[in-house]
Amino acid sequence: MSVGALTKKVLQAALFYEIWDAMKVTFKHMFYKPITFQYPREQRTIPDTHRGALGLLRYDDGRERCVGCDLCEAACPSHCIKVISTEDQDRPLQRYASEFYIDITKCVFCGYCVEACPVNALAMTKMYEYSTHDKRTLLFDKQRLYQIGERYISDAKKYLVAHHQEKDDQSSREYRYFFPQSVLKATQPPPKHLT
Amino acid sequence: MGLKPATNPEVEAATIELTIDGRTVTAKDGVSLYDVISSTGKIIPAMCYHYTFDPFGSCGMCLVMQEGKKAPVRSCTAKATAGMIIRTEGDDLFQARKKAVEKHLSVHPLDCPVCDADGHCELQDMAFQHQVTNLANAKQKLIPEDTRSLVLDFNMNRCIACGECINICKDVQMIDALQFAKKGGFTQVVAKGDVALSCEFCGDCLAVCPVGAITNKYSKYLYKPWQLKKTTTTCNYCGDGCQMYVETKDTEVVRVTSPLSWKNKWGDRAETAKGHGGLCVRGRFGFQFIDSQARLRQPLVRRDGRLVEAPWLETMHQVVDRLAAIKAQHGPNAIAGLITARCTNEELYLFQKVMRVAIGTNQLDSSARYGHANFVHAVRQALGVGRMTSGSEDVSKAKAILVVGSNITETNPVASVRVKQAIRVYSAQVIVVDSSNTNLAKLASHPTLVKPGTEGLFVQGLVKSVLEQDLVDEEAVGRQPDAFASLKQAAAGLSLDAVAAQTGVPVEQIHEAAAIFAEAPRAVIICGEGIVRRSGGYQDVLTLIDLAWITGKLGRPGCGINTVVEEANEQGAMDLGAVPEFLPGQARFDDEAARAKFAKAWGKDKPVSLPSIGNGAHLAEILNRCRNGQIKALYVIGENPLATLPASFGVKDALAKLELLLVQDPFLTETAQLAHVVLPACTFAEKDGTVTNQEGQVQRVRQTMDPIGESLPDWHIMTALASGLGYELSYESPQDIQNEIMKLLPGYYNLGQPKKIVPNPDAYLSHGYTALLAGRYGRAAAATGREAGRPFRLTMGQLLYHSGKLSTQASGLIKIAPNTGKLRMNAQDMERLGVGDGARVRVSSERGSLEMGVQVDQALLPGACFFPEHFNEPPVKDLMAVEVGQVTGVPSFKMTAVSIEKI
Repeated sequence: MSVGALTKKVLQAALFYEIWDAMKVTFKHMFYKPITFQYPREQRTIPDTHRGALGLLRYDDGRERCVGCDLCEAACPSHCIKVISTEDQDRPLQRYASEFYIDITKCVFCGYCVEACPVNALAMTKMYEYSTHDKRTLLFDKQRLYQIGERYISDAKKYLVAHHQEKDDQSSREYRYFFPQSVLKATQPPPKHLT
Repeated sequence: MGLKPATNPEVEAATIELTIDGRTVTAKDGVSLYDVISSTGKIIPAMCYHYTFDPFGSCGMCLVMQEGKKAPVRSCTAKATAGMIIRTEGDDLFQARKKAVEKHLSVHPLDCPVCDADGHCELQDMAFQHQVTNLANAKQKLIPEDTRSLVLDFNMNRCIACGECINICKDVQMIDALQFAKKGGFTQVVAKGDVALSCEFCGDCLAVCPVGAITNKYSKYLYKPWQLKKTTTTCNYCGDGCQMYVETKDTEVVRVTSPLSWKNKWGDRAETAKGHGGLCVRGRFGFQFIDSQARLRQPLVRRDGRLVEAPWLETMHQVVDRLAAIKAQHGPNAIAGLITARCTNEELYLFQKVMRVAIGTNQLDSSARYGHANFVHAVRQALGVGRMTSGSEDVSKAKAILVVGSNITETNPVASVRVKQAIRVYSAQVIVVDSSNTNLAKLASHPTLVKPGTEGLFVQGLVKSVLEQDLVDEEAVGRQPDAFASLKQAAAGLSLDAVAAQTGVPVEQIHEAAAIFAEAPRAVIICGEGIVRRSGGYQDVLTLIDLAWITGKLGRPGCGINTVVEEANEQGAMDLGAVPEFLPGQARFDDEAARAKFAKAWGKDKPVSLPSIGNGAHLAEILNRCRNGQIKALYVIGENPLATLPASFGVKDALAKLELLLVQDPFLTETAQLAHVVLPACTFAEKDGTVTNQEGQVQRVRQTMDPIGESLPDWHIMTALASGLGYELSYESPQDIQNEIMKLLPGYYNLGQPKKIVPNPDAYLSHGYTALLAGRYGRAAAATGREAGRPFRLTMGQLLYHSGKLSTQASGLIKIAPNTGKLRMNAQDMERLGVGDGARVRVSSERGSLEMGVQVDQALLPGACFFPEHFNEPPVKDLMAVEVGQVTGVPSFKMTAVSIEKI
């Protein structure tokens, strides 16, 4: 080792050069915009296509959209949905889901159920905060799903639009299917024999 | 492979040749082109086609190109002719078929998500297969749903007017309850006369509907096909042994479907002679008892006069201790057992083994005793085989059918379809002898109404008429001249005029019926409850055998003597020895060789000792011995003698005398309410096993769901009981029992293919025939003499919608046919008595009297009245007197003379 190199090393050791060198990075980062944010005080902006907790939706007049067709159950790859359908006693000939369960612990958030739904009754929301002390509460029943759907209705509608399930919010009254008994107002004028 | 049957099965149709897709195909002349194409294995879509009936040709899907024609032709309605050159594939045909699908879809609501047929819909499949994505000019019918019927909903928006429902109802079932009607500008399917559908509710229309136009009210909107677990099993209601699919969701039975369905539309029409795969109302709509709320879920033990729930282990210990104590104190003959013929073969076998070995008594009986025993004993005595001798194919293809004392369309609806097929396809002449105007009588060529209770006498009249008209088969009687001489001598005392007077049938009609039966090349006898459940049933079956013998029908192919049975496994109960007179395999209990064989098989190291001969007891004798205190403990499996037998028989006293009444049943029956211990048993849907139907086919019963509550299969309980009593049985599943039966009775498990029977009456005719003739002819029909002051004949019998007491637990059947509590009477009689529908009358018999309402029944003759045997409210059965058969011990109590007066 030459004298010069040795001198430099001694000097650097005396002046804590390495610490300063490292601190340079630290100080430089003090002027950067931070990447982390202070969850839960700060909330992240989530894109509309985000696949979060599932919610059940109602029409604007408060009727349940779900007709209990069970296609979501058939589409679900992780078998986390269970639908029990029956005839609505108040409105004869109207099929609806009397019970609806989603085991969110099993859900893989693939969104197939939303895709399968013929009436856009299911949508995914931006809600992801449902950690709990009791695992049993993670079996979402019909009531819980409608609560989610009501509370995050704007998320749900944005989701459906972002995934091309619905054209825009206004068209949510338009059914993708035609149900002769279930429509309040027929989309087409009834034939002559009924008028 | 649908080939239209020739009307006369003996005539072979000519063979033709035609070219299909470049291949030369041979076919029978007169067959539809569609059938020829499908027989080559090529499937052309067709929505209105089903092999069980003639092509209808409305859907426009089965298009093919015929050389020489510009436009595609409908292959189902086109006859195949020689030299045709047919093309079945190609883009033009695909487009033409696609147009047809679009035409149907344009007036079909796209409500698949709420439709029950979603996922099981031919129109959906066709739309997918033909890639229909856009519908121009779609319009909706907006027809309100027809929900008037009790069982079926008609949503005519979805109807594609394929006519399958109408065709199957008209052609196969011959009920003709549906029709097309122009209503609201559309062709719709409605019940005849556009009223609420009220028919036999067999549900075959529901099964063949390719879309969701006809839906099942009992399971509407409850399911999607992919949610259901489908299990093939055998129906437990009657002895027809129909195969069915029980569809369950967890522990809930959602619906029952049949092998007959729009999905199985390709088949050989000739195969329908063996069965069309459909079900009846009981099988299809009577499944609710399986998961009923009334099911027992826990063992019940009587404490302080009340039945309280107890754990299994404690209950079994108690049962075993008490049985062991009774056996030790009073001997094995202080214990007896009864079992229902709705149990599986394995359970019936195990039951008799447990009773005979673990307990050591031959006091056991099954519900085959109520009537089927008469038939089995008579046929076994005469022909050497203890079951009916022809299969359903023989019935379908017969030229003459004699149906005696059987309302077969009500008691065994699916077996009756075979008779209907004989009428429709093979133009058979059918002689229906019954005391009421049954549905079959309305279709039959020779309906013969006899006075109630004289069916047996009418059969004697037939024999006499055959002798008088000299219609005897010389070859058959020539082999047994002695027997024939004694028959002639016995029948000499019988005068046809007397028969005519007593039965109410003119002599000419008796002669005509006898001539039709004797001259037909293939003649089949079917006798039912009007013979086997009446007093003298055994003798009447022997008379029927005489008739078949002297006309040369015994042993001739296509002929036979048959019965219909009420409970699913009555044949199995006789076959597997759940009766005191038989060991398994219908070996006589006193047959030393058979005893030695079973004693050896049932013992572990050394042969067990079987109960001694002579101590056995059948149902009536068991109840007698209970009454006089000889029997201290009764083990009742699924039987309900208290609710079945009339009060005059003293069942209640008999049961009250018992020290231990042990009842094992899925429900808390009347008998169970008196029990000391009640064990919850499973229904047929929760266990594996086999049942033997009336034709002798052994068919699988499969477990469709887990047992309800803590109920257990009967074999499981019996195995535990036997082990507790010191007779160690190591069965872990019904399969183990089955293996044992297979070893002991080789060939019994024929799985749907019964051994062909060749009846051989020679031994019977040459030995002991004369003895059995004594007193048989000219025997005054047991209940013909009209007792003074009691001009009416009260009959108890089965309804179409019910089977035994079991079906009253099925809410679906109770909804269709509730207990009206009313006596059914002829309208003229009611007028004469001055009572209207619903008025109350007093009905009195020699055994008592009661007050009840009346209602009109069009089928009944004047002087006859009827009450369904399924209901005990009001207790009409208590008016009956019981007569126990001398030979077979069959208690007959279904008919009595009554007086009816207005109150």
